[in-house]
Amino acid sequence: MDISSYTTEDFVCDESFRNYCSGSDRAAVQFWKAWIRDHPEKTGEVREAERLISILNARQGNVQEQLEQLKDGILRFDLLKTTISGESEKAQAVRWRYVAGIAAAFLLLAVAFWLLTPGGRTVPGRTVAQEIRSGREPRKTVVLPDGSVVTLHSNTTLTLVEGFGNTGRELTLSGEALFDIAHGGQHPFIVHTSAVDVEVLGTLFNLNAYPQAGFTETSLFRGKIAVSLKDHPEQKVILTPSQKSVVFNSPGKIETAPGDSLLKKASLSVDPVNHKAKEIAWVRSRIKIEDEPLEAIAGRLQAWYGIPIVFADDETKGYRYSGTFESETVVKALEALQLSYPFNFRVEKDTIIIGK
Amino acid sequence: MTDEEQNRLYWQGLREGDKESFFSLYNNTYFHLVRWGLKITANDEMVKDCVTQLFFSLWDKRHKLNPVTNVRAYLFTSLRRMLIDQLGHHSKIDAAITHLADEEVQGELSYEEIIVRVQHDEELKQKLHRALEQLTPRQIELIRLVFFEGLTYEEVAARTSQSIKTAYNTIYNAIQLLRKLLK
Repeated sequence: MDISSYTTEDFVCDESFRNYCSGSDRAAVQFWKAWIRDHPEKTGEVREAERLISILNARQGNVQEQLEQLKDGILRFDLLKTTISGESEKAQAVRWRYVAGIAAAFLLLAVAFWLLTPGGRTVPGRTVAQEIRSGREPRKTVVLPDGSVVTLHSNTTLTLVEGFGNTGRELTLSGEALFDIAHGGQHPFIVHTSAVDVEVLGTLFNLNAYPQAGFTETSLFRGKIAVSLKDHPEQKVILTPSQKSVVFNSPGKIETAPGDSLLKKASLSVDPVNHKAKEIAWVRSRIKIEDEPLEAIAGRLQAWYGIPIVFADDETKGYRYSGTFESETVVKALEALQLSYPFNFRVEKDTIIIGK
Repeated sequence: MTDEEQNRLYWQGLREGDKESFFSLYNNTYFHLVRWGLKITANDEMVKDCVTQLFFSLWDKRHKLNPVTNVRAYLFTSLRRMLIDQLGHHSKIDAAITHLADEEVQGELSYEEIIVRVQHDEELKQKLHRALEQLTPRQIELIRLVFFEGLTYEEVAARTSQSIKTAYNTIYNAIQLLRKLLK
């Protein structure tokens, strides 16, 4: 039977579709993900079928998604171990329990708090000019007044100080975001979080600072940044590309030896399959294009990065492309496409405009 | 190789600190554990969290683990203990839940009870309860085997001594009815 004429019942009763829902068969997951993407007209039936299956299996969940969570937790746990290694053996043994407790608590809380919108922290003593929230969107891309491009992860809030771009470039982050900072003349770009402050020149970095997560992770991909502790600004580390710093937010629980800094440097975690940094897997897009017009490609970029993309003229819409490419930011993606056809694009407020 | 023989190998790998064995053990036992947990308490979030926590603690103490002959039974027992702890903890917070917890820990929940209880939406609970009353016991049993236990049509046919086609049609008709009733 042809899948395009499937009813909701046909999907529910299809064994391979059920394996896709439960994540128990990788081939089925791959097949159905692609099929659903290519058949947006069947979204209604597919969603209803997924709902019925989830009711009838008592919300057993998706084993692959659950496994990812476990892997993530273990990664952070192992990272924590390397972060605190270098301390004395005895201190480590005592601390070990705390660490296990914190990491386990993180695992439990991660799911529970995921949907709660964190309260945006603001820079004390300053007027708040503008707040940008991603809400439940998986990703949202904004262009800041100074031309820097920021992609926000879900439930993330950015608060810009008044006069951002004119009198200074400071903002506060609650959540996680990837920053592609424009070279900014006289004003340094500074990101405040509850635990650390990050000072930037021109660079690409990811900052993970969800208030409930218990840690703040700054990962650098290009350029140079300085990370300093909020409460002890004299404690500072300089990161070079492929390095990250992780700070745990409850210093009261992790005692450090005198003279030992809470700030530690570590290498980025590399995915064994694609050799890319795992820290920004949430934002990296892998787009496979088979003879598609630029208009359709722009639609996909718009959906992934969460930023509107419009065309200034009709001719560019029809440019056709083929190929596979990966990119971290929407700007990088468009620059890659520019290699094949001479179009231009500019970013204005919250929109990207493509023209000749 | 049976599932259990595989699990023993993964367990051995885990004790030696091999992450791939550990993740394979997770993949191989996840649904068994979730189903087992749901029969103790129809709180899918708590069950899934406890399964994650259980594996997290296994990884943490991997070098101290002993060889186990029946891996699944070991995991079941550990999960049960964790769930009862959790339910006990909740009960301290809320006396009303104490009652529920006692009731839940005593007997195994039936499939119909589980799927109704895990729903959060009151209206859907009611609809689902009424919809299940419209199905024949035969239909409910086949739906349980396929959707809850995750059997294939072939396995269901073998277990209930009927043809694959008959099993499929019975389920299809039940799904058609459920879909209408659960709109």
